Amino acid sequence: MRLIKAVGLIAALSLGVALAQDRTQTLIYGGDWSDLITLDPQVSYEFSGGLITDNLYETLVKYEGADLSTLKPGLAESWKVDRGRDTWDITFRLRRGSKFSSGNEVTAKDVVYTFERALALKGPGSFLFTDIAKLKPGAARAVDNYTVVVSIPKTASPGSFLSILTFNIGGIVDSETVQKNARGNDFGKEWLTNNSAGSGPFRLVRWDRGSQVLLEANPNARLKPKLQRVILREIKEPAVLRTALESGEIDIAEGLTPEALRALANNPRFKTLKADSLRLNYLAMNVKEGSPFANLLVREAVRYSINQDELVSGLVQGNGTKTQTLIPKGLLGYDPRTPYTFDPARARRLLAQAGYPNGLEFELLVSTGICGGGIPCADIAAKIQADLAKSGLKANVKAIANAEVLRTYRAQNHQMVLVGWSPDFPDPDGNATPWADFNARSLAWRNVWNDPTASRMANQAALETEPAKRVALYRLLTDYVLKNGPYAVLYQPAVPIGLSAKVEGYVRNAQGQVRFENISKQP
Amino acid sequence: MFSYLVRRLFFVIFVAWGVTFATFFIANVVPIDPAIAALGDNAREEQIQEFRERYGLDKPIWQQYLIYMGRLLAGDLGQSLRTGRAVVEDLKEFFPATLELSVAAFLVTLVLGVPAGILAALRQNQAADVTVRILALIGGATPVFFLAVLLQYVLARELDLLPVQGRLDGFTFPPPRVTGLVGIDALLARDVAAFLDSLRHMVLPAFVLGLFSAAILARMTRATMLEVLSQDYIRTARAKGVPGRAVVFRHALKNASLPILTLLGGLLGGLLSGAVLTETIFSWPGIGRYVTQSATSLDFPAVMGVTLLVGLVYALINLGVDLLYAFLDPRIRYA
Repeated sequence: MRLIKAVGLIAALSLGVALAQDRTQTLIYGGDWSDLITLDPQVSYEFSGGLITDNLYETLVKYEGADLSTLKPGLAESWKVDRGRDTWDITFRLRRGSKFSSGNEVTAKDVVYTFERALALKGPGSFLFTDIAKLKPGAARAVDNYTVVVSIPKTASPGSFLSILTFNIGGIVDSETVQKNARGNDFGKEWLTNNSAGSGPFRLVRWDRGSQVLLEANPNARLKPKLQRVILREIKEPAVLRTALESGEIDIAEGLTPEALRALANNPRFKTLKADSLRLNYLAMNVKEGSPFANLLVREAVRYSINQDELVSGLVQGNGTKTQTLIPKGLLGYDPRTPYTFDPARARRLLAQAGYPNGLEFELLVSTGICGGGIPCADIAAKIQADLAKSGLKANVKAIANAEVLRTYRAQNHQMVLVGWSPDFPDPDGNATPWADFNARSLAWRNVWNDPTASRMANQAALETEPAKRVALYRLLTDYVLKNGPYAVLYQPAVPIGLSAKVEGYVRNAQGQVRFENISKQP
Repeated sequence: MFSYLVRRLFFVIFVAWGVTFATFFIANVVPIDPAIAALGDNAREEQIQEFRERYGLDKPIWQQYLIYMGRLLAGDLGQSLRTGRAVVEDLKEFFPATLELSVAAFLVTLVLGVPAGILAALRQNQAADVTVRILALIGGATPVFFLAVLLQYVLARELDLLPVQGRLDGFTFPPPRVTGLVGIDALLARDVAAFLDSLRHMVLPAFVLGLFSAAILARMTRATMLEVLSQDYIRTARAKGVPGRAVVFRHALKNASLPILTLLGGLLGGLLSGAVLTETIFSWPGIGRYVTQSATSLDFPAVMGVTLLVGLVYALINLGVDLLYAFLDPRIRYA
């Protein structure tokens, strides 16, 4: 009897130890992952799809830590850009010995297959390859097993192209495994929705839609993770996210409310973080003929009428950065200067000069949803409305569904809108061209701001390959758009994140990428 | 009986058609563009155009309806605009979670509602009756959101008795998916720990979801029982010396069961149509959460699929209730 008890006790203890070990080897990451629709790296264009596939697949080049301005080697140990006759030729030299989770070696043919796959599948992110990098089928060629040359037209920016490659669309897939699972000519798209075939530090075990995604360490990976298992748990409600973190059901909670973040900051069991994003929340003014905003003096008056300091420290509760130029903090060419100060008297003078001594009335469109930093957009609009009123600018706020705001904005039918913008790829050109170049049919076009100087400056900066010269060009462009453009940037929102104090090595860059292999958990 | 069943099933099809017709046209009255809702702000014009063509959104509405109905007759609910998957696949994925939760909540409703109602009726105007009535009032009036967050805070966070959210603990390896009902799948995989874990996870959401229906049921049971208990034949039975327990359960409850059954049918239908708030708060991947997300992204095929499913569930439950009538009351005959 005693023996049985002793054996039972030992068994229970060892089970307990095993469980405890298992707990330090498993990271549970809670957040609203409800936008997840596929885990195929060449198809996914959602935030959470990117977060996950970045850990399943490796890219040729990548960013490390929070820095989004210096490219580091990924699967390619080196690369160089050559000026061809009509093309930029970018040569990548692959590392030897990198392996996919299947055990197959990563070679040049996998890279070529991945590029062809991205172009053939025409996923929502494929415009990065086709429109930005202007890639054509056949642009990537294997010179030998470990060398790939990619040629892009002279009109495309090599800097943009390289930064696009850090994205999941550039995640190299195991061509043999994918072709084995392809159906017809779907390039394995259906299979890769729920399965992984990458060389990243993790592999996909299963995805229970609406519930969780389970990743396990990839035994063949070159980058060895510190954890055996990562689980992404879908929790949409911020209040529940907080309770789940406090009760130990999850280790990381992404997307807390500013209040929850403050409460957790005072508790030694937790750490808090305001992670940068590349998003800019801004006001846009339609400058088409007949609009009061067509007059630069009126736009200047608007820019002098916003009390940005109060907005960021008050309403946004510090979950954002005050900024005024079109390149967000974290990207090459960011300009931290904020020359516009809150000055209603000056704004009134500008309005009088523009021919509106008694002020001006217009409509301000805003989404009924949540804006960056976890604040209802309508609350931000109300604050802006109060600020503008002090200068005699009477904004009639109209809150409608986000898709309806965007439809109006895209049809150039707004007067003023309050919206957000995130660049499609982590390069200053991801903002500069849409914001400055009318011909890109993006933001400048929507606001009918056709300024050839701005277009020319944006194109020139995009094609510059020398980083120092590029910074100088962007400095000129951001300054020009700041003073002449149809925008008033409000703030760059941060993502409020709470972590168990046991979690170490968590870094989230402004593009939303988190390298799970660097994270560890103390017992 | 058989011809009755056939007629009723035919009627179910008619209901289903009516549901799709109404939803289709209501959905298309909404002035918002589903392509922009699906693709977001950064989408290029060409992408939006391509999306409209792929999903037939560029065609006139009557054509869209005919295409939809043609596919529906072949059993195809179309493709979700948001996930790009077949709506049938999405429903298969999310409905089991709702089914599991509804059945558990329905048990809570029955176990709490019926005895409480009988007790209150038997002790009319006494302490027990007043307590049941007050509890039923509170249960029926407390917003689900408030109750759920309160219970999560006290029972899960402070006392650590029950889990806050989800169908399984993150550290529990989920059993292979067979039925989609986690508890059943765990049993099929002979994984007792996962089965127990899934039960633990069901307690709070089932209680929160079931409490409201239990409150309604208790009030209904009480009222019906009071009415029956005042009938002559009850007095006769008592006068004959039938024991009290037999009077209550054999004579009174059986006769009170028809209205209770009708209500139960409605309650079960309501539970199965997906509890949006409960599913959201407890991170329960059911059709309630799926349909809200689909609705906010104007994913019409998905919304239509859920509406059709819920319509069918309601119609079938009603049919079941009607058939049970005949079983409970021998005077009712269907022909």
